[in-house]
Amino acid sequence: MASKVIASGTGTSGPIRVFEEVLVQARIDAQDIVRMVATGYGRMTFKGVDRQISEITCHARGVSHLVPTARTIIDIGGQDAKIIKISDKGKVLNFLMNDKCAAGTGRFLEVMSRVLETTVDQLGSLGSKSAKAAAISSTCTVFAESEVISQLAAGILKEDIAAGVHQAVARRVAGLARRVGIEEDVILTGGVAQNPGVLEALGKQLKTMVKSAPIPQFTGALGAAIIAWEEL
Amino acid sequence: MGEIGFTTTIPVEIVIAAKKKPVDLNNLFISSPRPQELVDAAEQEGYPRNTCGWIKGLYSVAVKRSLEAVIAVIQGDCSNTQALMETLQLKGINIIPFAYPFDRDRKTLETQIFKLMDFFQVGIDDVLRVKARLDNIRRLCWELDSMTWQDDLVSGLENHYYLVSSSDFNSDPFKYEKDLRNFIDKAKRRSPCKGQVRLAYIGVPPIFTDLYEVLESMGARVVFNEVQRQFSMPFKTGDIFEQYLNYTYPYGAFARLEDIQEQLEQRMVDGVIHYTQTFCYRQIEDLIYREKIKLPFLTLEGDKPGKVDARTRMRLEAFVNMLKA
Repeated sequence: MASKVIASGTGTSGPIRVFEEVLVQARIDAQDIVRMVATGYGRMTFKGVDRQISEITCHARGVSHLVPTARTIIDIGGQDAKIIKISDKGKVLNFLMNDKCAAGTGRFLEVMSRVLETTVDQLGSLGSKSAKAAAISSTCTVFAESEVISQLAAGILKEDIAAGVHQAVARRVAGLARRVGIEEDVILTGGVAQNPGVLEALGKQLKTMVKSAPIPQFTGALGAAIIAWEEL
Repeated sequence: MGEIGFTTTIPVEIVIAAKKKPVDLNNLFISSPRPQELVDAAEQEGYPRNTCGWIKGLYSVAVKRSLEAVIAVIQGDCSNTQALMETLQLKGINIIPFAYPFDRDRKTLETQIFKLMDFFQVGIDDVLRVKARLDNIRRLCWELDSMTWQDDLVSGLENHYYLVSSSDFNSDPFKYEKDLRNFIDKAKRRSPCKGQVRLAYIGVPPIFTDLYEVLESMGARVVFNEVQRQFSMPFKTGDIFEQYLNYTYPYGAFARLEDIQEQLEQRMVDGVIHYTQTFCYRQIEDLIYREKIKLPFLTLEGDKPGKVDARTRMRLEAFVNMLKA
């Protein structure tokens, strides 16, 4: 019906702005909504919802609805990465999240795209031009940033660094995924799923086909909507 | 009566037999009104950012409090304790090192315990008299624990509070005993709390101040607090050396695992939470527990003292929901 993405931190006006814009898009009033479920980091600050559900549960439902054969979900969002194993009914069987470090998340890509003087949306196509990915050895976003700056200074091509950045994210996330165990189909969701470079690098790392979820930025929201619908 | 601080559970009987007041520095740190300030104070003195919050908290409380001496457990606990001990020495604090033998050798442990007794100038008869007295209190702890998992009358937080405090009996065994007895009498009149997700909590006590409340608000209850229970010395023995050999905490992951497996089976647990401290070597041991424990497993990481953060809350919520489904 309607959807909207707004970049915001937790506890900001983001959730309420999204809500207002979605109402306009869908041409309905707030009173027309009979049940509302909020998910994600902003779920606690958004008032007036019937239920708040963690995005792990919601991603599982959303992805399972879109791709019924999905058994492993890799969600790489702006600030964390999660591996979720699900049943054929979209129930969470197991999950694992990254530790308290931004390496292997969308934040890492954002920081790196800034250093490469491009945008995070363009990073994927930049990396695709690479013939030889640069090695990024640091596991920490902050250290990797200075490593990339010195690589640029040494004359290494931007596209090679971009490809190296994709591989670094994939290595990190693949390590996490192996700990939970990979079962096909493997679906990548979250904002980072829009980056073909990460998708491909992840497939190579895990030696399995990794597909992007349709509407990867909305699978959590879709899951929340499905749960709300079922609870009516 | 002088106060004797310690960095983790030690044979407290010796301290009490010497007519000194035992003070578990961990409890002092985490129950202080502003524990984060204590961590900050240690960092200002030069403690690195990438060191465990507990060590920094322990350092600051030991510096602030006028203690007669600090017993530092330099083997059988975190190796950072050695540097903690040295930096406290730098501040002129009297340090008594104590080491649990990694191989759980009785002779070596006897030597350590006798050394501690020599330092405090107490004999074995005095120590055993205190032990008998403390065992009466510990029996109440064990009763509280079975009221938690067997009778469903005691919450995870209450269980945690009383058991974690049994390392030093809140520095006043008589008062602790009276409080605990009153609590047990009251809890017996409650009706059992059924239908919640039953969780085991393994690992060192949390640096989060509201973990148990958060879990309970989600419909889950901790029915096993692994290390806290160990503090209550749940072993029926009159032999003090045997007691501190049975105590699992200082003897590595496998000694603990045996006790954990036994308790998990008995307590009908739905899932396990393994708590580790950021920058702690026990984060490596997580992989041992993950492999050996065949129950749904969640690893939590805590860094600084304070309320459960948003990321941790999300993990807990997803884990509890997963167990409910």
